[in-house]
Amino acid sequence: MKRFTTPIVVVLVLGVLLIWLSSLTLDSIEQRTLNVGYIVERTREHLGLTIATSALVAVLAIPTGIALTRTRSRLVRATVLGIANIGQATPAVGVIILLAILWQTGYSTALVALVIYSFLPVLSNTMTGLQQVDEGVRESAKGMGMTPNQVLLRIELPIAAPVILAGLRTSIVFSVGAATIATFINAGGLGDMIVNGLTLQRFPVLITGAVLVACIALSLDWIAGVAEDLLRPRGI
Amino acid sequence: MHKPEDTAILQIARNTSGAQIVLDQVTKTYPHQPTSAVENFSMTAEPGELIMFVGPSGCGKTTTMKMINRIIEPTSGSIRIDGRDVLSLDPNELRRHIGYVIQQIGLFPHMTIAENIAVVPKLLGWTKSRINARVDELLETVKLDPTKFSHRYPKQLSGGQQQRVGVARALAADPPVMLMDEPFGATDPITRESLQAEFLRLQESLGKTIIFVTHDFDEAVRLGDRIAVLSERSQIEQFDTPANILAAPANDYVSSFIGHGAAIKRLVLIPVTEAKLGPIGDAEAGPITVSIADSLRDALDALVLSGAPALMVVNAAKKPIGSITVERISAVLGADIPDVQGAGLVSASGAGR
Amino acid sequence: MNQLDFDGLLTFWQQRSGDILDMAFQHIAVVAVALMIAVVIGVGVGMLVWDRPVPRSAVIASAGVALTIPSLALLAILVPAFGLGWVPTLIALVLYSLLPIVRNTVVGLRAVPPAVMESAKGMGMNPLGVLVGVQLPMAWPIILTGVRVAAQLTIGTAAIAAYVAGPGLGQYIFKGLASLGSKNALNLALTGTIGIVILALIVDAIFVFIARYTTSRGLRA
Ligand SMILES: Nc1ncnc2c1ncn2[C@@H]1O[C@H](COP(=O)(O)OP(=O)(O)O)[C@@H](O)[C@H]1O
Ligand SMILES: [Mg+2]
Repeated sequence: MKRFTTPIVVVLVLGVLLIWLSSLTLDSIEQRTLNVGYIVERTREHLGLTIATSALVAVLAIPTGIALTRTRSRLVRATVLGIANIGQATPAVGVIILLAILWQTGYSTALVALVIYSFLPVLSNTMTGLQQVDEGVRESAKGMGMTPNQVLLRIELPIAAPVILAGLRTSIVFSVGAATIATFINAGGLGDMIVNGLTLQRFPVLITGAVLVACIALSLDWIAGVAEDLLRPRGI
Repeated sequence: MHKPEDTAILQIARNTSGAQIVLDQVTKTYPHQPTSAVENFSMTAEPGELIMFVGPSGCGKTTTMKMINRIIEPTSGSIRIDGRDVLSLDPNELRRHIGYVIQQIGLFPHMTIAENIAVVPKLLGWTKSRINARVDELLETVKLDPTKFSHRYPKQLSGGQQQRVGVARALAADPPVMLMDEPFGATDPITRESLQAEFLRLQESLGKTIIFVTHDFDEAVRLGDRIAVLSERSQIEQFDTPANILAAPANDYVSSFIGHGAAIKRLVLIPVTEAKLGPIGDAEAGPITVSIADSLRDALDALVLSGAPALMVVNAAKKPIGSITVERISAVLGADIPDVQGAGLVSASGAGR
Repeated sequence: MNQLDFDGLLTFWQQRSGDILDMAFQHIAVVAVALMIAVVIGVGVGMLVWDRPVPRSAVIASAGVALTIPSLALLAILVPAFGLGWVPTLIALVLYSLLPIVRNTVVGLRAVPPAVMESAKGMGMNPLGVLVGVQLPMAWPIILTGVRVAAQLTIGTAAIAAYVAGPGLGQYIFKGLASLGSKNALNLALTGTIGIVILALIVDAIFVFIARYTTSRGLRA
């Protein structure tokens, strides 16, 4: 029952939004944005950016985390973690806008900025997950004649999986939020509706955009949570 | 077809009931350490022997043992199993044929008990049916019901049960050599005793060559065929059978390690049948009896606990065959002392104080 | 394309140092006020629900929902009702701070060993006395960690609040965006971003300091 709270809440909120919108008489500016075609297009952009970001983060941050736990050089580890921690303290909007100024506006910039911004949770969770594998477990695996790759793939990564997945889930939530800001650099997404609604003083547009983004964030977080439960190895 | 080292490993592997292990002038110096952890260590373990390394914490027992399966690489010296230099073999291949049990157990939490035991057979490419049969057989061997435990996860087992699985897992591919580093060290005294007893019984039928590390001298006496008493830098102070070490400690270091009560400790090693039993009539019939399978130590315990002056000794069929008293027990020790240096024992208890 | 001109940046900082410090001060002020409100609400709610399973999980789940909602969306939803400026900013920052603070309060209060609670009761303390006199001091290091996490979170979020006219260094970032193409764009955005990073690091260091000096000596690791 508890598991279905989020989808029920999301459906209810969307239902209330729909009823509220249909009770309004929209002016011509509102009609231009509050129609199915426009909303679907913005949602598609938003989801596309989020999913592309998460996929890239997974592909880049997990191997980086593995490589960092393997390096013997303290200096390398400290440097990367230091940079990552400063990255954590950097506001998403700062990253996106700086990159737009230094490079260009648009989708690719937004994607790069989002990847940078969502990188840390996956990186640090990969490292934490691998580091917390019990030394006795690692030594047994080695003592039983597993090659270093076998130890990594069959023992360490499965045991670290829940922690890594939790990092990915955090990073997905981060990137839904950061994708909203992509509107500032002309990369589309539902942020467009929020910003248009604010600048044009059309609150129905603003509210619709904000509610949709919130619902997407909650739904993706929920899906990631379910996936986390399903993919977690039993016994851990 | 095969690389020469493959066949060398196969030859070691085929010898499932115990291989000879030779350590020759082995030294290990950890990086950035002023002194060696192990210095010039030489020892031969004969096939089927259960050898105990005993010594205080930090004396180098673990380091010495872990060089045999190359978890730790020796700085110099050579190690041979059945005449083959392990340093010339592929370490991963080698380890698949050396059973390995550590104090932390190190069961894989994400695998079921059956999957844990199947790891090495899988690495060796056994067929599914052979692996399944082997897993069941091993679980029976360590007294865990396969139908009940196969599909459980490690966290669903008690500490003692986990350690049994650890032993079963190490035995999976029927290795000729087993390395055990304080395997029962983390269990409570009662569990430890039953694990030790089962382990002894198991070894009787398997006859592996086993290096067993412990800091508990009583455990060493109870289990070992031979005991190596080690001091700093893994120096061998004495390497002999438990009876000989108890009867004649080589030096003060060994005596102090034996501690108080060397005589009592020796009783563990002597079966009740060694005593000259008294007539059945000496003992009153009571609930507490001594079995001929017990040691003199068990008999003494029973006497002290019951408070009776004499106890009945019964055979396997529970038929009385005689009686035993404290005097008869000490007579066995008394008869034993003169022929192996009575003086040694006196100085032993003296040094222990 | 815009190249970084280091001398230009230094000159920019010199000319506007007063304004930059003012913005930094406002940034810290809004974060500090939000944190204080969030601590009062969060610790209070945590004390009410820590040993009641149903309200406890309901409170933590709702706080989790608040944290999941993207900041621009949350700020935007607040604008029709509360207008622009400090008010929506404060409300959003308080909402974001609640999860770490409530969760850590609950975890901290529950982490007190039953033996300690029992002996406190045995000495004749009433439940409120135990909570305030024993549990809260013992839970303090964990609660403080929650506040520290909340601080990092809100310092970054306050940057976006500049879009709804919230106070602080975020304004420099958006001014940079607004002057995209001009030669000052990079200086403005860089000043805002670096300023916020520095604030975050300073605040974090302050929390390490506070933790050292407000944790009972007996509890320090
Ligand atoms: N990886 C290591 N690096 C440096 N010194 C070590 C390492 N492992 C063990 N030592 C040192 O080597 C000595 C022997 O250790 P060990 O073999 O673990 O002893 P034991 O098993 O008898 O307790 C100790 O002094 C210990 O501190
Ligand atoms: Mg050791």
